[in-house]
Amino acid sequence: MMQETGQMRAGLFDRVVGGIVLVLFGIAMLAIGWDYPMGRVNQMGPGFVPLSIGVIICLLSVAIFWIDLRDETISSAPALDWRGLIFVSAAILVFAGLVEFAGLLPSMFLAVVVSKLADRTNRPLGILVYAGLATLAGWLLFLVVLELPIPAFWR
Amino acid sequence: MLEQFLLGLGVVMQPEVLVYAFAGVFIGQVIGVLPGIGAITAISLLLPVTFHLDATTSIIMLAGIYYGSQYGGSIASILLNLPGTPSSVVTCLEGYPLARSGRAGMALFTAALSSFLGGMIGVAIVVLAAIPMTTIALKFGAPEYTMLVVLGLMAASMVGTGSHLRALAMVLVGVALGLVGADATTGYYRYVAMPELADGISLVSLAMGLFGVSEVIRNAAARAQSKVQPQIRMRDIFPSRSEARTLPGPILRGAGIGSFFGALPGTGAAIASFMAYAVEKRFSRVPKRFGTGHLPGLAAPESSNNAAAQTGFIPTLTLGVPGDAVMALMIGALILNGIIPGPRLMVDQPTLFWGVIASFFVGNIILLLINIPLIRLWVLMLRVPYQKLYPVIVIMICVGVYSHRTSVIDVVLTLVFGILGYLMKNYRFEPAPVLLGFVLGPLLEDNFRRAMLIYRGDFTIFVTRPICTVLFTCTVLLIAFSIYSSISQRRRMAAAATDGPASTP
Amino acid sequence: MKRNLLTALPLVLALALPAAAQDSYPDRSVRIVHGFGAGGNADTVSRILAEAMTEGLGQPVVVESRPGAGGTVASGYVANADADGYTLQLMVGGHTVAAGLYNSLPYDSLNDFTFLSIIGQFPFFIAARAGEYDSLEAVIAAATADPGSIRIGHSGVGSTQHLTGELLDLMTDADFLHVPYAGGAAAATAVMGGEVDILIDTGTAIFGQAAAGVFDVLAVTAAERWPDNPDVPTVSETVAPGFNVVSWTGLGAPDGLPDNVVEVLTAEIARVMALDDVRGRIAALGASPVGSSSAEFQELVETQIKTWTEVIETAGVERR
Repeated sequence: MMQETGQMRAGLFDRVVGGIVLVLFGIAMLAIGWDYPMGRVNQMGPGFVPLSIGVIICLLSVAIFWIDLRDETISSAPALDWRGLIFVSAAILVFAGLVEFAGLLPSMFLAVVVSKLADRTNRPLGILVYAGLATLAGWLLFLVVLELPIPAFWR
Repeated sequence: MLEQFLLGLGVVMQPEVLVYAFAGVFIGQVIGVLPGIGAITAISLLLPVTFHLDATTSIIMLAGIYYGSQYGGSIASILLNLPGTPSSVVTCLEGYPLARSGRAGMALFTAALSSFLGGMIGVAIVVLAAIPMTTIALKFGAPEYTMLVVLGLMAASMVGTGSHLRALAMVLVGVALGLVGADATTGYYRYVAMPELADGISLVSLAMGLFGVSEVIRNAAARAQSKVQPQIRMRDIFPSRSEARTLPGPILRGAGIGSFFGALPGTGAAIASFMAYAVEKRFSRVPKRFGTGHLPGLAAPESSNNAAAQTGFIPTLTLGVPGDAVMALMIGALILNGIIPGPRLMVDQPTLFWGVIASFFVGNIILLLINIPLIRLWVLMLRVPYQKLYPVIVIMICVGVYSHRTSVIDVVLTLVFGILGYLMKNYRFEPAPVLLGFVLGPLLEDNFRRAMLIYRGDFTIFVTRPICTVLFTCTVLLIAFSIYSSISQRRRMAAAATDGPASTP
Repeated sequence: MKRNLLTALPLVLALALPAAAQDSYPDRSVRIVHGFGAGGNADTVSRILAEAMTEGLGQPVVVESRPGAGGTVASGYVANADADGYTLQLMVGGHTVAAGLYNSLPYDSLNDFTFLSIIGQFPFFIAARAGEYDSLEAVIAAATADPGSIRIGHSGVGSTQHLTGELLDLMTDADFLHVPYAGGAAAATAVMGGEVDILIDTGTAIFGQAAAGVFDVLAVTAAERWPDNPDVPTVSETVAPGFNVVSWTGLGAPDGLPDNVVEVLTAEIARVMALDDVRGRIAALGASPVGSSSAEFQELVETQIKTWTEVIETAGVERR
């Protein structure tokens, strides 16, 4: 499915963004790790490997950038799926934000509700029923059967 | 050897022991399906139960959980693209495309069968060659491990469907992510942006993010319904005769590779399954079909990681030295029962030693028998449209990741990696090599620095020590091979631009 | 905001029923937190205690693993937990090492905790590949004659095993090469394979190998010979007078535990530590099971913090 949608030729941005992000990653690695002690060859410090890897990543990404820039056959990247991205992200953040304070069940319930919003075909009642059932199943599985040490509710 | 093996079989065949063996593999299988909640959680939950069992039965049950979870791990990978361990990452590569194209049943069957055969071959190696394998394992010092990991990283860059250069860059990004946390040699904090990162990024959150979350994001709001699984009949899960004919080779090679790597303490199943996959792809006549749901690409790593799961017991049983955290747990259970593990285990406790090994044999058969009927059930689950399923996947990921280290930061990082994985795929970067780089990076640094410390900065050891020479040659050949193939591929592409992608519809 | 609201609810209830809450400790499940992976020694000891204490306290005692940064994540968590007796910590000797090893701990290793009781004490043993050295003196002599030629494999920088090796280095003329491994098992394998010469680790890691003739046990790090292994000489009587390293596990809680809760807990721990079953399992882990008073435990922690901080400074171990 994805192969078909992207048959259009890629614009300049689509072609080079990968290489550029990778270069930035390498540079950030070098910048943060610059002060880590290098040590000697027979007693290497913690800085030796990060700096070597950073340099290699930079070199590789320049090569990738160059190849991608000249490659005319690359097809453009598929459009971002904002709806999925936003609601799935929100759901995970809701879970992460609530689980320590509110306990497992409320955070599971809300995470399901929020993630369900990504689907276009939903009705409010359906979402609540679904979330209720999913939470019940989660409670049975994680707390009753597996006895994971996560509180069900706030304490 | 056979005589002792029969002695062990006698131990396992006692009804009570058999019940615990069954319980072990069954629990392992079920827990393995839930990504992130791995064998360790299950084993430590059941540890108090073993207080009331004798040593042999305890170990048989705990071991069952361990290799049972290897079986289970492939199920979530194939059905939902949710890998909980590095070895199941490789399973995702072919298994998930197969499931997406409506052949989940066949993928699960092939995985179960390859796992079974790989496991059995692994058991055979444990029975026949435990001692020689131990001798080889002891010959692996820091320089040998360093070169082995280099070879593994090169193999990882062969895994993707795109260019080797991009894959190699991803391997290194994985290595870089693996650097986060306290440096293993000096304890120095590197890239620790917040205190929760002091122990590094969690493998579970990286794997579940790059694979699971990115897949959910991609499909949650998709207008087009994903392909609904057809009602399957029993015979649909069996590969056709011509497909079946392609499998024995990969399964055998996979088992061989897995048996070897499993027996080396500390490397284990992950490197084995990547290596098996890379080898298959390299020697395949149709390398283009890898990544699109190619059965041999599923069979080899499955066979490999289960063979490794069995031979992984070799150092534990013959040296009394655990190869990984799960093995350490089992040694712990032995110690709790008043048995001090060590090389004398085989002589002092023959019923325990051979009972455990025979239980692998029986356990693998049990696993195959419970897996095949379950396939229809699993496939039935896929008949639920993705739009109804994905919120449940989201909470499975959240709870799995959170429970792994009881860390909220891990959950947030999973999301970050999920978004990253989603974007990477859009821009033709593969997530799988990142994972292997992440797993092997720390091993590489640790052994490299230790080798330099012990051999006082002498770089020639990486080439001159006998085992190193072999590994070095393999690495060079692999690089030469990949340069050659990418050049000839470019020539062919230039010659005939009509050649379309050989993907399934 | 939300948190205040949620925590306020039980507080109101507690105020409304002060007498009931006071007398009925524990009226819900008690957690034993530890800072190591599931299945490690700390986890196993926690589970042994949890199982036994569940009976005595009449409430479920559950084990919670909060691994990270050498156990300091768990210590920080416990130090900041409510001092109500529902959060306990299984502490290990590493708690005292961490006090000297980390630059900025989010807690005070001594004053932020109530030390309830020691659970087990265990020494380390020094071993070499069988037949290489007949005594610790021989090892020290070799390491003095050719500095850096004798390699000690240890289970990670900042582990008690590592610092014990550094202490040996400091208290003798020997100059060892300390080689870090990812855990004691890897170090033991390296000794077998000949990559390093000496292993310092717990009895459980060493005696199985010694029985099989793979290792020779050269010395024990405790001040006195260890009762279970009276044939093994001490480091103190052979090469370094006054050498004394004994590690431990113990049960602690946040500072400021109410007296009645301390009473209930210490009584329960004392009961549990007298059970043959529990003693047997702790002994099987290579430790001698010892209950102790709260004061003894506190004193032990105090002395060890001083020792390890000194070793870390003198040996030049990188602080983190």
